[in-house]
Amino acid sequence: MKRIITLLFLLVFICGCRSVGKDVLRVVMGLTEEEWQVMRQDIFPLFEKEHDCRIKAYQVEAQDWVRKLEAMVSANKVTVDVFSQDNMRLYPLVAKKLVEDLTAYVDKIPSQITPSMKEVGVFRTRTYFFPYRPNVQITYYNQKKFNEYNLKPPKTWDELLKVGKRFKEAEGVGRLGLKLWGGSPTVAQVYELIVSAGGEPFEFNDQGCIDTFVFLKKLYPYLSVDSKKAKWDTTNTYLANESFYLAQNWPFGVNIIVKEYGKNEIKAYSGWRGPKREAHTVGGEVLGIPKGAKNKELALKFILFLESREVQEILVSKLGWPLVRQDAYGQIAEWQEPYFEAVEEALKEGVYRPNVLYWGDFEKFLNEAIMRILVNQEEIKPVLNQYHQKMQDVIIAYETRC
Amino acid sequence: MKRHKEKIKRIVLALALVLVISWVIFPLYIMVKISVSSPQEVMTQHPSFLIKDFTPDHWQKVLSGQAIRGPLTKSLAVATISMIITLGIGIPAAYGISHLPKRWGYLALIAIFFTRMFPEVGIALPIAIKFLEWNLLDTNIGLALAHVIRVLPIACWILVGTFQTIPRELEEQAQIDGATKKVVLQRIVLPLSMGGISVAAIFSWLFSWDEFTYALYLCLAQPTLPLKIYYYITRGSWFLTATYATIITIPVVIITYSLQRFLKAGYTAGALKG
Repeated sequence: MKRIITLLFLLVFICGCRSVGKDVLRVVMGLTEEEWQVMRQDIFPLFEKEHDCRIKAYQVEAQDWVRKLEAMVSANKVTVDVFSQDNMRLYPLVAKKLVEDLTAYVDKIPSQITPSMKEVGVFRTRTYFFPYRPNVQITYYNQKKFNEYNLKPPKTWDELLKVGKRFKEAEGVGRLGLKLWGGSPTVAQVYELIVSAGGEPFEFNDQGCIDTFVFLKKLYPYLSVDSKKAKWDTTNTYLANESFYLAQNWPFGVNIIVKEYGKNEIKAYSGWRGPKREAHTVGGEVLGIPKGAKNKELALKFILFLESREVQEILVSKLGWPLVRQDAYGQIAEWQEPYFEAVEEALKEGVYRPNVLYWGDFEKFLNEAIMRILVNQEEIKPVLNQYHQKMQDVIIAYETRC
Repeated sequence: MKRHKEKIKRIVLALALVLVISWVIFPLYIMVKISVSSPQEVMTQHPSFLIKDFTPDHWQKVLSGQAIRGPLTKSLAVATISMIITLGIGIPAAYGISHLPKRWGYLALIAIFFTRMFPEVGIALPIAIKFLEWNLLDTNIGLALAHVIRVLPIACWILVGTFQTIPRELEEQAQIDGATKKVVLQRIVLPLSMGGISVAAIFSWLFSWDEFTYALYLCLAQPTLPLKIYYYITRGSWFLTATYATIITIPVVIITYSLQRFLKAGYTAGALKG
């Protein structure tokens, strides 16, 4: 009996010793299983070895992170030290004061990071997030169908309209995909159309905005019926089941459509230019530290580690992620190359959404305008004039408050 | 002529039944079909109705990894704990309410239902904050307790209705025959209420098994099965979503089937002495 007790005691002692002295860094990310595998096998061990710590990583989707963190911060039980977040969902984190102000550490951001990426984490004059992964929507098209109808991927608005007409004439139904489900997917798409028409999206009724809606109204009859159900995730399905022959989406669709579903005929390119320029909304992820994080110092080291050349080269080689640094290179898998090139091309014409406090209101208004003009077929100018006024009222109200 | 009419009536009834059952089973069939079909078969403009290109790949992928074990164990544990707590509190509460004067019993039931009057998304955050303060993040008991908050009123409502159907005279007669209150409960009331208790048990188990909002707030390291399905839906993977959705359905079928034998009417028929 004594021996058993001694043995148990030793066991507990050894287990205890193992964890003593090792810092634990708790990380939240929203990744696919494949991405997690690379993080856990190739990236985390490097950091753990370098800093003699242990990383505990958790999966949380970008759309859920705000309420989860809000609950943690309100309960004063923040069990996460660092997180990555979609750069289109940053505003609520700042507005609800859920993240640490990192302005004091801005000079630690490597100088080789693409300068425009640094701006993504800045709200008014304060920096709350550090860049780590750029992303941009690319245009997927069904090469087999394009060849069948002797078409080329459209490079201008006019060509896009012609392609849409040709598909409808040939098959009797629209085959172009536009994300009309509402919310961020719809807004991100129309935002870049307005910019490429030379418009200022917050104005709503300038010439660029009007031109965009005139074009969308012309395009509407040639859209697939599934456009009304199209979001980020469902767009992959509609491309794969050939409801869409052409649609824009993020590069994460490549792994699903091509690798998982085996639809090798789905190719990608950067997209089309508008009447004034080519523009693609830049998305991606940034890194932040939750308010009240216990291991802030180590979290900051981890952020800088993910921005390092070594890590960025692993990410591009193993996952085909676009690079956040200008000095990093990597060899990507052969099948991924054309898609990666499309991403790189699109990033060259990347436009960053401004970090404004009234983004939520803008998103709501733009969605309403799209539904009224396209789905309800209302007159363009009166609707846009209404939303111009509403937007101006909101902007003035925010500026007065600040 | 009358026999002929009866026969037609039966055929129409059978056809209607087949139609309703098909309507209910069709989505389940599609779910199972996708989980065992190759992407080439499903991802076309005109997918086939029957399984033509069977593949165990999606099941193998889900079952071979560690990914399924944790969520499955957690969901099973939480649903079972939630059911036990719900019945543990609900049975005595409902029995007590059923013995109150009708007006007071009704008032008590309304008071219990008061908690259900708020939309779940509205109260989930404050409840989650409280639970986090009590260090209940990522614990089975924490999530089970959160589920109990939502399911207990309905369980009580079901059980009060059940206990009210048992004639009070039956209990009084047993007591006249020398049975104590405890014996009356154990030997008469509970066995006669098995139908209602089973319904409350199935309901609370299924509610917890499917629950999403509280799980989203109170799980970080280990998700439940609905969260895992949500993960694949968000990531846009049809086949893994369908496989997980099929897995989540299996225990529902088993538990409903195993408890349905208690769902018989007429338990108290002829129970009273003349």
